[in-house]
Amino acid sequence: MIARDRNWLLIFAVCVALAVVYPFFAGGYQLTVIRDALIFGLFAASLDFFWGRTGILCFGHAAFFGIGGYIMALVTLNDAIPFGSLLGIVGAVAGAAFVAAIIGYFLFFGGIRGSYFTIVTLAMGVICQQAAVSWSSVTGGDSGLIGIPPIEFDLGGLHVDLSQDLPSYIFVTAIVAVVVLALWSISRGRWGTVLTAIQDNEIRAAALGHNAPLRLLVTFVLSAAIAGLAGALYVCMAGLVAPDLSGLLLSTEVIVWVAVGGRGTLLGPVLGAIFIQRAQQTISSFNPSLWPLLLGCVFVIIVFVLPDGILSIYARLKALFKGGRRAQ
Amino acid sequence: MSDILLQAENVGIRFGGLQALEALNLTVRDKELCCIIGPNGAGKSTFLNVLTGTLRPTSGSVRFLGHDIAGLPLHRIARLGIARKFQIPSVFPSLSVEDNVKVARWGAPSPVRPIGELLELVALTNRAATLAGELAHGQKQWLEIGMALAIEPRLLLLDEPTAGMTPQETLATAQMLLRLKGEFSIVAVEHDIRFVRALNCETLVLHQGRRLRSGPFHDIETDEMVRDVYLGRR
Repeated sequence: MIARDRNWLLIFAVCVALAVVYPFFAGGYQLTVIRDALIFGLFAASLDFFWGRTGILCFGHAAFFGIGGYIMALVTLNDAIPFGSLLGIVGAVAGAAFVAAIIGYFLFFGGIRGSYFTIVTLAMGVICQQAAVSWSSVTGGDSGLIGIPPIEFDLGGLHVDLSQDLPSYIFVTAIVAVVVLALWSISRGRWGTVLTAIQDNEIRAAALGHNAPLRLLVTFVLSAAIAGLAGALYVCMAGLVAPDLSGLLLSTEVIVWVAVGGRGTLLGPVLGAIFIQRAQQTISSFNPSLWPLLLGCVFVIIVFVLPDGILSIYARLKALFKGGRRAQ
Repeated sequence: MSDILLQAENVGIRFGGLQALEALNLTVRDKELCCIIGPNGAGKSTFLNVLTGTLRPTSGSVRFLGHDIAGLPLHRIARLGIARKFQIPSVFPSLSVEDNVKVARWGAPSPVRPIGELLELVALTNRAATLAGELAHGQKQWLEIGMALAIEPRLLLLDEPTAGMTPQETLATAQMLLRLKGEFSIVAVEHDIRFVRALNCETLVLHQGRRLRSGPFHDIETDEMVRDVYLGRR
């Protein structure tokens, strides 16, 4: 096993262990705070899976989060639909994936890459938010939909009821851990290696027989599906869905989480999301208008000083000491 | 007839007012090695682009095993069994040497040679874990050849395989290709006459987009007209 893989698994194991012991030390409210932060962490990991592996930035990823959220809300709020929670999750994932497939098909097979892709997805996010505001008969307009019930379902004799803090924390933690581990194994294996090759030189990869647009599309759809899953989980925990959830601000924030945590590491963005939201809560309690200013500054500093994110501090320090020793 | 792999017939291509290629014919038989030479701007690379289907000729046709390949998507052409080494080394710099070959192998419809053998063929066994971006120029070229081999091609097209190589590297490359000859067909576009001499094969000489001469290299080498063109007397 390569050292880099071993380190990743080690950090992953430490994070899971911390998440497991956390409930013994934290109260119900703190658990829900971390739980919600973890859901956004899952969302950040979904963006990182695409952005980190393809180098193409999606600036409207909140659209998929919002689509997942709205579908989950509409399905669970409709009493006529049985197995609301399960169908809602399936619908949210499928809905986000479907929209990504349609948009992605035209973009990837049309040869749209780089900044052009970013701009089109930016517009997509704005359109989604606008649709959520304007289509008020379905989406509830500006105020959104409230009273979304917590997730509750029976699966193979197991009754899952997430109306309490602890079960919902455990459920979310388990899902985030499993999904992040799965995304990691996909991205370090054959799939990820070919994606890196496509990122390096797409024409060359195609000349070797790889269907690059298809591979990018599938990666994008998978990434959107997980964003949809995160959206679905979030609205059930929060009990409401609003146009903000598919908006430009959230799309920007998720990019910051990924950049801060370290693009391409999958675990870093989850940690980035938790840290930044924690900081946001602390700072907003002093002065609510201070936060957007600080967020912008942090982003700029990260891009200039630590382009590989906070997880890279260790590697950089090590390189620094090594370099120092060699110089002596 | 049945051993004809690639057949270009009466190929011509126009870029606006410029007739870049005119009435070119090339037949590559199975397991044959041939070279296309010519001075700068003779249309060598353009012709190679037509042969790989990247450029659609404005007249004539290119058939590979009977299929017309003009305008097919790149990955389809690759899967038909045509491998191409580009003029500028285009390996994947962020992947290791081994991963580069792996990516190439995964793209192949039916890879045969194991990774180790491929690395050995191009003399890169001890650089397997090195990032391709950190290789020396000549080694990048070899890695490219190794990647082209990984897809088990029927036809390998090499665009200036020795560009930027030292004389020793050039000869090593020629020997590499001579070892591979007999496993599949190779078409090399080349500028370096020492390399072509070392290969000593069927050679097509282009000049201003047209066929100037074609035949075995030793005939070409002694041809007055070819010498004139190469030395710039015409």
